[in-house]
Amino acid sequence: MRANFIFSEVWIGLRRNLTMTIAVVVTVAVGMGLLGIGLMINSQVSSLTNYWMDRVELSVFLCGKNDAFPACKNKGAITQDQKTNLKKAIEGLPDVQKVDYEDQNQAYQNFKENGGNNILLSVIKPEDLPESFRVKLKDPDKASAVEESLKGQVGVSNIVNQRQILDSVFGFMGKLRNMALAIAILMVLAATLLIGNTVRLSAYNRRRETGIMRLVGASNVYIQLPFVMEGVIAGLIGGVLAAVLLIVTKILIFDQIQMYMTAPLSWNTLAGVITLTMVVGVVICLLASFVTLRRYLKV
Amino acid sequence: MIHFDNVSKVYANQNRPALDHVSVDVDKGEFVFLVGPSGSGKSTFLRLVLKEERPNSGAIHVAGKDLAKLSNFKVPHLRRRIGCVFQDFRLLPKKNVYENVAFALEVIGKPRRFIRKVVPEVIELVGLEGKAHRMPEELSGGEQQRVAMARAFVNRPMILLADEPTGNIDPATSIGIMKVLDRINRTGTTVLMATHDAAIVDSMRKRVVELEDGKIVRDQSRGVYGQAY
Ligand SMILES: Nc1ncnc2c1ncn2[C@@H]1O[C@H](COP(=O)(O)OP(=O)(O)OP(=O)(O)O)[C@@H](O)[C@H]1O
Ligand SMILES: [Mg+2]
Repeated sequence: MRANFIFSEVWIGLRRNLTMTIAVVVTVAVGMGLLGIGLMINSQVSSLTNYWMDRVELSVFLCGKNDAFPACKNKGAITQDQKTNLKKAIEGLPDVQKVDYEDQNQAYQNFKENGGNNILLSVIKPEDLPESFRVKLKDPDKASAVEESLKGQVGVSNIVNQRQILDSVFGFMGKLRNMALAIAILMVLAATLLIGNTVRLSAYNRRRETGIMRLVGASNVYIQLPFVMEGVIAGLIGGVLAAVLLIVTKILIFDQIQMYMTAPLSWNTLAGVITLTMVVGVVICLLASFVTLRRYLKV
Repeated sequence: MIHFDNVSKVYANQNRPALDHVSVDVDKGEFVFLVGPSGSGKSTFLRLVLKEERPNSGAIHVAGKDLAKLSNFKVPHLRRRIGCVFQDFRLLPKKNVYENVAFALEVIGKPRRFIRKVVPEVIELVGLEGKAHRMPEELSGGEQQRVAMARAFVNRPMILLADEPTGNIDPATSIGIMKVLDRINRTGTTVLMATHDAAIVDSMRKRVVELEDGKIVRDQSRGVYGQAY
């Protein structure tokens, strides 16, 4: 096998179809880039999901002195008896694992730690914050059911179901991911067709050469390799562009929202994503050129 | 060397066979003219030898190999032992004489050192010494056909197939082409040449196989073109 012969043929082929080559490179780059972004979102969502699902709580807020919640209107603060009964009632539910009581001082501490903003901090005093029961569940999926059964209990002002909040956040991220993947699939389809077309053009342009190659007994590999390589090299260039796109996306987007994430997107994950998209890109180019060749290059 | 046993070929969408129960034996080192009117099946015969087409019935052996049993994978190896020359030369216009001949060796993966040694030899054999760096467009038709012959012969094939090699060339130049084919034949290469050129066939006095409507109507050693039988 004469490598430089193959490469000079490939180079000539790529240049002769420059516009098609550019089209292939761009579609592959965009397709693989979106695929990569989808994968990156996915890895963030699953690390977030794992982290949060273990911590999902129901916050059962209790009525304070002059609480504005309709459930507490004109009833005054919850009494110690009511508190004990409520705790027992909650603990009695089959899906509940653990109930923690959070008093006003603790609530104030948590509020401070969770980055409540400075202006609010300066006006809010511990007495302004409600007491609550933090209810940990055996199965996070049961959160809504438990919430339903606690609603309307005496002394309960309001229930915050973290699961609902998480679901809407994850739902949004999942939608983003699905969109990226859907467009990626379309792009991959377009890239396949474009590569097929490029290879077909190339086979037509080089029909003299391939005709002579067949006659003098060049092996199929030797005849087909330059075409397949054209597709693969265009795919590789597209893959490199996609990699650049992914690195830029990590720095400009994922690293900026890092503080909201439990595990920031690591360079390792990115390297994995890039490798995967490259492999997918090259394999697609390889298959597309190969299938086209079978049709247009008789042996 | 080439053995056709009751070979028939009907192209798809054609009712008349291009070759009709043809049996022929060509020995090693022979020079055979394939003559006959247009459409009589000469080119079809040559394509069958190359396994470019497959017969509908009958058996073909080339260089001891049964073509029906030869896998597609091995067809290139068969073709390396067969050189081909055509009426339309089939040179690569962007390569010079040397590169055109070397191309045949490059694409079958021969080492560069070998190519550098044998290409000038064969260019000299076909009488193009000093013109190795000319482009095809700077050559006459006869010279272009010599390049094609050099390319066909550079890998020292056992068989040379020539399909109307003088079809685009004037009679005087054709004599030169025939001299080269004769020279190639004298190295022990079997030559099979399809032609319409009566003067050439008559002057060479070689074996003549005549086809008509796909049937062999004459097979004569030291024959002439249009002789009655
Ligand atoms: N690829 C093909 N498909 C269908 N029919 C074909 C094909 N090639 C040749 N034929 C038919 O087969 C018959 C023999 O053709 P062939 O080319 O072998 O003749 P030939 O003797 O070489 O003619 P010529 O002297 O004009 O070159 C003709 O009737 C032709 O129309
Ligand atoms: Mg013909």
